[in-house]
This record gives sequence, C-alpha cells and structure tokens, in this order.
Amino acid sequence: MHCAREEFFTTNKKGENYELKAELNSEYRHTRKDAVKKVIANMTVGKDVSGLFPDVLKNMQTEDLELKKLVYLYLMNYAKSQPELVILAVNTFVKDSDDPNPLIRALSIRTMGCLRVDKIIDYLTEPLRKCLKDENPYVRKTAAICVAKLYELNPELTTEQDFVKELKELVSDINPMVVANAVIALQDIHELSDTKDIFIINQTILNKLLNALNECTEWGQIAILTALGDYKVASNKEAESLCERVLPRLQHANGSVVLAVVKVMMINMQYIQDKNTVRVLCRKMAPPLVTLLSSPPEVQYIALRNINLVLQRRPEVLSNEIRVFFCKYNDPPYVKMEKLEIMIRLCNDRNVDQLLSELKEYANEVDVDFVRKSVNAIGRCAIKIEEAAERCINVLLDLINTGVSYVVQEAIVVIKDIFRKYPHTYEGIIPTLCDNLEALDEPQARASLIWIIGEYAERIENADDLINNFLENFKDESTQRVLQTATNECDNADIRDRAYVYWRLLSTDPQAAKAVVLSEKPAVAGESNGLSSGLLESLLSQIGTLASVYHKPAETFIAGRKYGADNVQALAHDPTNEDEDASAPPPQIQEALRNNSNLDNLLDLDWDEPSASTPINEPSATSSSLGDLMSLDAGNAAPSPPPSSTLSPTQSLTDIMNLYNQPSASPSNTFAGMGNPMQPQPQQPVQPVAVSSSMNDLFDFNMSTTSTAHSGLQQSSPLSPSLISTTQPLSTSANSKPAKEDPFAGLF
Amino acid sequence: MINSLFVINRHGKIIVEKHWRGIISRQIVDVFNDESAKFMKLPPGTLERSDISSNQEAFFTKEDVPPVLESNKYWLLNVLRDDLTWLCPVEKEVDPMLVFEFIHRIIDVVTDYLGDVSEASIRENFVTVYQLLEEMMDYGYPLTTEPNALKEIIMPPTIINKVMTTVNAAAGVTPKFPQNMSNIPWRKAGVKYTQNEIYFDIVEEIDATVEANGNVVSCEAHGTVVANSRLSGMPDLSLSFINPRLIDDESFHPCVRIRKWESDRLLSFVPPDGHFKLMSYRVALSPYQAMPLQIKPQILPTKNGGKFDITVHPRSTDGKPIEAIVLSIPMSKSTTSVNATCNVGNYMYDPITKTVKWEISKLQQRERAPMLSGTFSSSDAQPDMGLTVDVDFKISMYSVSGIKVDSLRLFHEGYKPYKGVRSMTKAGKFHVRT
Repeated sequence: MHCAREEFFTTNKKGENYELKAELNSEYRHTRKDAVKKVIANMTVGKDVSGLFPDVLKNMQTEDLELKKLVYLYLMNYAKSQPELVILAVNTFVKDSDDPNPLIRALSIRTMGCLRVDKIIDYLTEPLRKCLKDENPYVRKTAAICVAKLYELNPELTTEQDFVKELKELVSDINPMVVANAVIALQDIHELSDTKDIFIINQTILNKLLNALNECTEWGQIAILTALGDYKVASNKEAESLCERVLPRLQHANGSVVLAVVKVMMINMQYIQDKNTVRVLCRKMAPPLVTLLSSPPEVQYIALRNINLVLQRRPEVLSNEIRVFFCKYNDPPYVKMEKLEIMIRLCNDRNVDQLLSELKEYANEVDVDFVRKSVNAIGRCAIKIEEAAERCINVLLDLINTGVSYVVQEAIVVIKDIFRKYPHTYEGIIPTLCDNLEALDEPQARASLIWIIGEYAERIENADDLINNFLENFKDESTQRVLQTATNECDNADIRDRAYVYWRLLSTDPQAAKAVVLSEKPAVAGESNGLSSGLLESLLSQIGTLASVYHKPAETFIAGRKYGADNVQALAHDPTNEDEDASAPPPQIQEALRNNSNLDNLLDLDWDEPSASTPINEPSATSSSLGDLMSLDAGNAAPSPPPSSTLSPTQSLTDIMNLYNQPSASPSNTFAGMGNPMQPQPQQPVQPVAVSSSMNDLFDFNMSTTSTAHSGLQQSSPLSPSLISTTQPLSTSANSKPAKEDPFAGLF
Repeated sequence: MINSLFVINRHGKIIVEKHWRGIISRQIVDVFNDESAKFMKLPPGTLERSDISSNQEAFFTKEDVPPVLESNKYWLLNVLRDDLTWLCPVEKEVDPMLVFEFIHRIIDVVTDYLGDVSEASIRENFVTVYQLLEEMMDYGYPLTTEPNALKEIIMPPTIINKVMTTVNAAAGVTPKFPQNMSNIPWRKAGVKYTQNEIYFDIVEEIDATVEANGNVVSCEAHGTVVANSRLSGMPDLSLSFINPRLIDDESFHPCVRIRKWESDRLLSFVPPDGHFKLMSYRVALSPYQAMPLQIKPQILPTKNGGKFDITVHPRSTDGKPIEAIVLSIPMSKSTTSVNATCNVGNYMYDPITKTVKWEISKLQQRERAPMLSGTFSSSDAQPDMGLTVDVDFKISMYSVSGIKVDSLRLFHEGYKPYKGVRSMTKAGKFHVRT
C-alpha cells in the first residue's frame, strides 16, 4: 500500500484502469466487488490506482460489509494524496455513523479517524461526540481511540472541544473494554502532549482500572497494567493490595501481560515491609517467567533480558530454577548468551557443580562466541564463589589441555582474573599456563599471561626468558630505550605521556616506582555487569520496553538515538545516578560491558566526576594489568611497553581525562572534525604525584590508545610508522575486532 | 504501539505492507536486509561490524539474527516464521513483547483463515489478509484478535463461502451484517448444532537434555489442552482433572474463570465455538523420572573419521507403543561419508546437512533394543565431536505428567453432549548429548 509511484503505471496501464473503471460502474454488485478487489490488489503491489477514486467511491454506499470495508481500505490509502476528493466521501461516513448497526457506526468512525486529512476534522467532531456516548460498547471503545487520532491531527481542537475530558469520563465506563481503550487513548495523548499532565492516575482512577482489569482483553490488560505502573502508592498496605490485585494476571499465555504484571509488582514490592509477603509474591512470579522460556526465541530473548533485571534486584525469584536456563544446542546464539548471563547470576554454592559441568559441555560446542563466553563464565563462577574456585580452575585446566586455541586463550584471560581475586593461591598452575605461551596470538590473552608472569616473577625461574618472548617487537630491551622510543618517536600523545610518567618515576626513585606499580590492587568485583542501583531502579520501572531490553534508559536512545552530549550530560547529573551508589557508570558503559562482558570491574573507577566520565568506557582488565608489568622495571632491566593492547571495546580513557582535568570532555563527534585533534594534549603537564590507581590507568590509557589509534586509522590518524610497526605484528588478529564505538576513535 | 508491518519473503521482497499510523518508507526493508546480512557475515569472536566484505561467507543463518536490530532511525523488531519475516520498524519506545505477541497472533489467525501461512497463500488471499490486518489493529493498538469474533466480521475464504457469495450475488441477496455483538467476545450468539459434541486433546511435549550416560540434565513437560467445541447455545462447562496439583504453571484462554481455578482447581468456562486452546501448562519432571525412552550414543573418533553406535531402549510408557521415532544425528561438518547398519527401521545420511536420520516407525516394550552402528570418514584429522542427537517420537493415549481429565459437566443448556478426551505425549526439544 504505497502511493509513491504515481507516474509509472497510469500511462502504460491506462487500458487496465479503463477496464476497471467500467467494471466499477457495472450494474452487477459482484462485478463491482471483484473490480474493487482488483483495485486493491493493484494498490498493494504499489501500482497507482488513485485515478479511480470517484468510481471506487460510488461503491461505498452498500449493504455489503466486505465491499464497504474494501472501499474504506482504498480510501485510507489515497486520502492523503487526494484530500479534496475525500470530501465526497464525508457524507456517507456521517450517514454511516448514524446507522442502526453498531458495527457500521464503529467502522465509519474508525475509518474517518484514519484518513488523516485536515479537511475532514470539521465533519468528524459531531459524529465522534455522538459515538463517545453511544449505547453500544463496541462503538464507544472505537470512538475512544478515535479521540487519540484526532489529537494527533489537531491537539488544540481536541482539548477545546472537550474530547479529552469525555475520554476521561470513559475511564469510568461500565464496560471494561471501553475502559481499556480509553486508557490506551489517554496514554497515547499523554505521550504526545507537551505538558504531560493529561493522564495522571489517582486513587479513584486506580480502583476503576483494577475493576476493569479482570474483564478486558489481554491487550486491554496490558494497557491498564502499564498505566498502573505509573501509579505511586500511598502506603504499604496499598502496595500490598495492588500486588495482590494484579497477581492473578500472571496466569496469562501472553508474555506481554506477564511482563506488565511483573513490572507492577517489582515497582510496588519495594514498599512492602512484610518479608513474608514479599517472599510469597516472589515465589508466584517464578512459574510464569519460567514458562516464557518455552516460547518462540524472540519472546525468550525479551523475557531473558527482563529476567536479568528482575534478578539483579531479587535473585531469590528464580534461585532454584537454574536448570531451566541451561542452553539447548539449537537455541539461537542471542538466546544462549542471555541464558549464560542468567546462569552466572543464579550460581550459588549449591548448584555450582551442576553449572560447571554444564559450562564445560558448552565449551565443546562449535559456536566460537558461545564457547568463549562459556569459558569466561567458568572464571566468573570462580570469582563469585570462593569455595568453588579450585574446581573452576581444574575445569579450566582441562579445557586448556584440549589445545583448542581460542579456548586456551580465553581460559588464560579468566585465570588472570581469578589470580587477582585470590592472590597467591593457585600458583601451582603457572607452569601449565606458561607451556601455552607459544599458542597465544590474541593480545588480550598475551597481556594476561604477561601480567601473571610479572606478578609472580619471583616464583618463575625463567620469567625473563618468558618475557623476552614478548619483546620481539621492540628494538631494544633496555628500559631507557623503550621509554625513549615511546617518548620521542611516538606520535601518540598518550603513549608518550605515559612513558614520561614512568620515566620520571624510575629516574627519581626506583623504590617509589616499585611501590606504585606493585601496590595493592583493588579487588576484583565478583558480580560483574551489575547495573548501578539508580539505573536498575529506573529500568525496573520500565520492564517490558526497549529500554529494559537494551538495559539503558530510554532517554539515551529515544530522542536522537545516539547519545548526544546533552543526553549523556543530563544523565550524568540525573539524580537517580547519584544516590548512594555514586559510581553509577553511564549506560553506554553497561552496553560496552555487555559487549565485552568478560571483563570485570578491576579498577575503582572514578565516577565522581561525571563530566569527565561521560563517553568513556571501562578500563580493560588486561591493559590495567599491564601496568604492573613495570614491576620488571624495578627489579629487572627488561621493561616492555606492552606488546599491544587488546582491542576490546572496553578501554578506558577515564583517568587520563581526570588527570588532564578536562571537565569539558565531550563526546568524540565534537573532536572528530578537527584536523589534528591531539595537538593540545601533549602540552598538558603530567602531574608528578599520581596515586597508584591512576598510574595503572595511565598505562592503561597508553594501551587503549594503541588500539584506538588503530581503529581510528581510517580517520586520518597521524600515527608514526614506528608505532605502527610496534603494534602491527600483534594486532593482526586483533585487527578484526577494533574497538566498538570507541567514542575516542576519532581523537587520535 | 505498532506503526507498520512488513511481511518479507526469503529473497527480501515485500509481500505485505500495512501502516496503521502514517507511512514508513519501504526502504526500511532494504535497511533491514542489509543489517541482517551484516549480522550473518559477522565473524565469530567479534562484535564489531566493520571490515566485512560483501562476498564473505555467512557465519550465521537467518534464524540467528537477533529479534531486535538497530538502524539509524528505527528499531527493527522482526520475527522469522517459515521463510517469511514479519518486520515492525519502531521509532519510539515500545513494548517489544507486545509486538512479538501480536505478530504471533496475526500468524495464528492467518493460519486459521488460510490453512497455512506462505507467500503463495497470502498472495492468493490478499484481500482477506488486508481485511484481517485492518480489523486486528486500530491506530497501532490491537483491536479484535479473537478468531471467533473475527470470523463474524470477515468471512474465511473457504470454497463454500465463495460459492455462497456467488449464489447470493446471482440471486440478488445481500449478505447479512452480523447484527448483534455477543456479550462474550469469544463466542458468537445463536450457535446451533444438531449433534452437540466437544472433544479435548491433551498434548504434552517433553523438553529434555540427557547426557550420554543417561543422566538427565533438565527436563520438563509442556502441555496444552486443545478443544473442539460444537455445542449449541451458551453452554457453561466445568472440567476437572484427576491430579491438578501436578501442574507447576498454567495459563488459560480468556474464557476460563481464574478464580474458580484458584479455589477449586476447576476449569469453568463458556467455550468459544470451534477449535481453541483452552489451557497450557508446564510440569517440571523429576530428573529421576524415567524418560519414555533412553538413548545411548557412542562416538569413537579415530584418525580421519570414527565409529558410532546408538541404541534405543524403551522405558516405562504404561505399555503404550512409542511411535514415529526419529533420531537426527548431526555429524561434524568435515564428514565426507557415512556407512551404517541398523537392526530396526531405516537410516539415511544427508550429505548436504551432514545429518544421519534414523527412523523407527513403532517400538513396543520388551522388544530387542534397536541399534544403529557404523563408521564415518572425515576430511579433518580430528573431527569435532561435540554433537547432540535430536530425538522425536510420539506416544498416543499416554501423558507423561500423569494428568488426566476427571469429568466434564455442562450447565445452562438442556442437551447431553458427546464428550471425548484424547491424550498424547510427544518429544519437544528432546536432546541427547554425546
């Protein structure tokens, strides 16, 4: 149904249209009806049949409902392009809206609203007013939606003529279907309105809605439940009774109804004091959520994303149901990935064995992404459950012994995280890891192993030999030479700055350097990928929306879709992000985390400065750990600027930004246009006194720039050949996965 | 709120286009085709979309494309069913679950009307399809989605209806409008049958993952109670089960009075006319409960190939035979040939999908255990072995959960209907790991 190709068919198909015209004017009804069908057929394949408008219109006045509807279909399609001809149809519409048959009345009012022609508005108001008061509920419910249509065309008129008021009266209608449609229309108008004060639910309305809830159709229930989600309860008792009223709706086959109920319950359960009541409610939520997992994959996907949110607030809901999240081998990849996330969330000391054997099974599958994520999940189990760490390590060692390259590499990356979480506990396995050194070709895995070697250098006899393996890319192994190369020949501001910092540190006081680099590292967070409580709160109140699927607030993508500076800044100052969890990372970090979820929050991020942290991604575990490589500096004479960095999307520029104190750090697009955007940066003084964590990150920044620079190559990156030669050999494999949407890609 | 719906065939061409509020350009379909092609060519191990040349081999299939894709301006919500993609581009925040449920509903209704949903059937009956789309949604909000209510307004394109229309047209009789909307939206008024009868089918599907040693990793049964009602007037029915407590989770057709179920575990309802799904439920099976059949696969890899043998052991099914057993054994992608023998049934090797299919039409208890054994050769020195056997079977007159209908009573009407209940257990996602 398309009206864009006017010119084409009118000329060469004139014959056909001419024939149709004759048939439309036939004296036999069935001939006319067949002709209208042919017209519609032409219309649906994109042919222009608008020339037949008057002839089709003649068939509008008929007793044949099917024919009438076909004519209406035609009208709706061409009304926009032939507004003056639509007026010809108005009389019939007005007459139909008075027809004794309620179906005809409803149909005429519905179609008139869909014509979307200004001229028709004047003719619409009177029939609409009558239909809103019609004795037949079917007509009233159709008229309710028509008010929303009218509002879109002409909001002032709709309000002036009291249609909105009449719509509000329909909320008290005796027929639940009418109530539901009135709610739908009011919500639609509320969204469109500038003032957003059209539809506010008070206690009286609440009761009416609850009464209608049980009797209306599933779609009406969704609308009413959505409206209930916006209601702020006045007391604990009210929250409790509200939850109990919506609870029976969980028994609906429609997943959207189930999610709408879950949303209302999640919002209101926080006001319920009685722990027992909460427990009972939680238990009732579980079965319908589990049932959603046997639906078609697209429903499963939405359900899983929302279950993930629910579990972050109330893990007890599904704590005994981990089995239902086990993957089927033919689940689509997007479902498998979400199931893995949830399994890790539900993992506890009782089910960890079961989960481990399941994950080990997955690690033998063929889908590379899924296998990697499964291996990663084993590591996350270890970090989450201390008692199981050893068993996890054993499983990982088994997997390393399979010799499958990507399994080995992923295993080493997670083992590094386990080492961080439980220092000096599992050193026994280091030789096994080192045996696989040759097999590593991915930067992240190499970096992880380097970190491990660095950390445990004292215990590894041939640590410097091993490290030498990684140094092929550097012309000389002396610290000074490396730092010199980095400072003089490298056009990349961040590598240079970082090198300066280390150089100065080493030249002033090697002990201080040692203290800085070998300092206590912040603990690895067990439960990674958790959303900040502020964000979680706002997402829980949006269960069953795109925001809850993407785990980012609607504001970031509804208007403008991409995070503009304004949006992000506004978000950073959003009070929800600043409650007790001051470290609330901006949503795109969650996004980044999700994309590269194998990384944990290894570093304390300094989120206190929202302006600086806006478009920035999480520091990667790998590169931060490379900071510790410098331990070799202190003891040995074999420092190595990192071979290359992981090109994971979660590179952080945070701390360097803090260091430079550029509060105006705005998203990349502002910089992207500049010819040589990093010009101003090298002039920035390097702050001599840096706390250890920011030192780590400085180095980390170093890393990330290699990668960002790399990914930014196409964007006129002024990289010196030397830097390219340093990064090239290692990043060949990484080339295929440049940093995702790195906001600073254009910067360097 | 749904703005538009496009139905796209397997070649990416639009076959149905419907807008409920304002027109979204057809170009969005090209955007969708591009985005999904991009996704399919995404090399595993990356999440990045650049560096993808157009002639690259696809890593993923159409089924793997996520149901929500992003484009510059729209979110592309899509559902793939039988070669047709149902695409709803949305610009504003929307309830994606509602969109998917609505698309499923359209597919169900169109299937009900046309017998099947395919490009051919839609093209042949486009007038019906467009009428349905118009009736099912108004201004982006679902309107009438009950098949019974729809059939009152839109006639299904059956042969009889076609004949009737022609005859009436020739006789100059105009078809009557339905005059009265029934008070119960799912049942039309004035239904009349000379023979009153109602049938129930209880179909249970077992979803299970079983390890090679017989350990059950996960298992549950999904049941549906489908009814075919041919009862006159406004009958009020009350159905009870022998052991309703077994049910873990249930959902009902809107006609069922939930309170009655909550208090008495009774299904009390005024049925729609014709076929409808009365109830669906889930029963968690104990991992120790014996599966109807046990499958023991064994694969021994050797250099450039390997040996396999698979045995099927029937287990407790109350003495009912297991029918239509089909085992699909996906071999590794590097397989070049397969040679096997079986003592029962037939086997087939499909060299394109690299799958061995073994069919056993009927298996009685205490029969010799069927066995398929053979060898395969592979172009790979060490073929990957992480394979999963997909099992299909059905058992008539048997319900794995043990749920049975106790009684059915009828109120409000004077006649005594003929009642029938059948049960059947089938394999759902029944997987055996090797």
